[in-house]
Amino acid sequence: MAIKNLTSVQARRPFQRRRKTCPFTGSNAPKINYLDVRLLSRYVSERGKIVPSRITAVSAKKQRELAKAIKRARFLGLLAFAEK
Amino acid sequence: MAFYEHIYLARQDVSAQQVEELTANLTEILEANGGKIVSKEYWGLKNLAYRIRKNRKAHFSLLNIDAPHAAIAEMERQMRINEDILRVMTLRVDVLNDGPSVMMQKRDRDDRSDRRPRH
Repeated sequence: MAIKNLTSVQARRPFQRRRKTCPFTGSNAPKINYLDVRLLSRYVSERGKIVPSRITAVSAKKQRELAKAIKRARFLGLLAFAEK
Repeated sequence: MAFYEHIYLARQDVSAQQVEELTANLTEILEANGGKIVSKEYWGLKNLAYRIRKNRKAHFSLLNIDAPHAAIAEMERQMRINEDILRVMTLRVDVLNDGPSVMMQKRDRDDRSDRRPRH
């Protein structure tokens, strides 16, 4: 079964089933910034927990950066620690 | 000197004008100790994700600072004394981003989503 080749636009979509590419590598990848709440909340579950990289296909290096940014955002009250 | 990104949260029932004064006397403290503020941003009253000292909202403001560590230490000491300030975060960064921070850009994009945001 030929694997569909994914264009760079689709790499923007973090949740992919078949071909797992890290959404943060590559040329037009978004920069991880602790102030960018919209980007960070995409990698946080509804309960407010950080989604593991095996599900979001984020590379280990970027996952560490992401975790640090999320924790900073939580400290500033931009992201919740836990959501009911 | 070293670059610092500094964010502080002011209490909900402090007026925006007072927050400006707060930033002004922070600038004085820094200049007294040989530092300076490169740029400052005021994001206004924003909702917090959780209550901090019984406040649901807080005034957010960001300062890009170029200062020696002594000035930062003094500034933070003053801020800890000040009751209007809920939370303080100072990050040492290698390079200050000169353009508007992500908070401001997002606001531009939302307002003029039809036109390309001009920088």
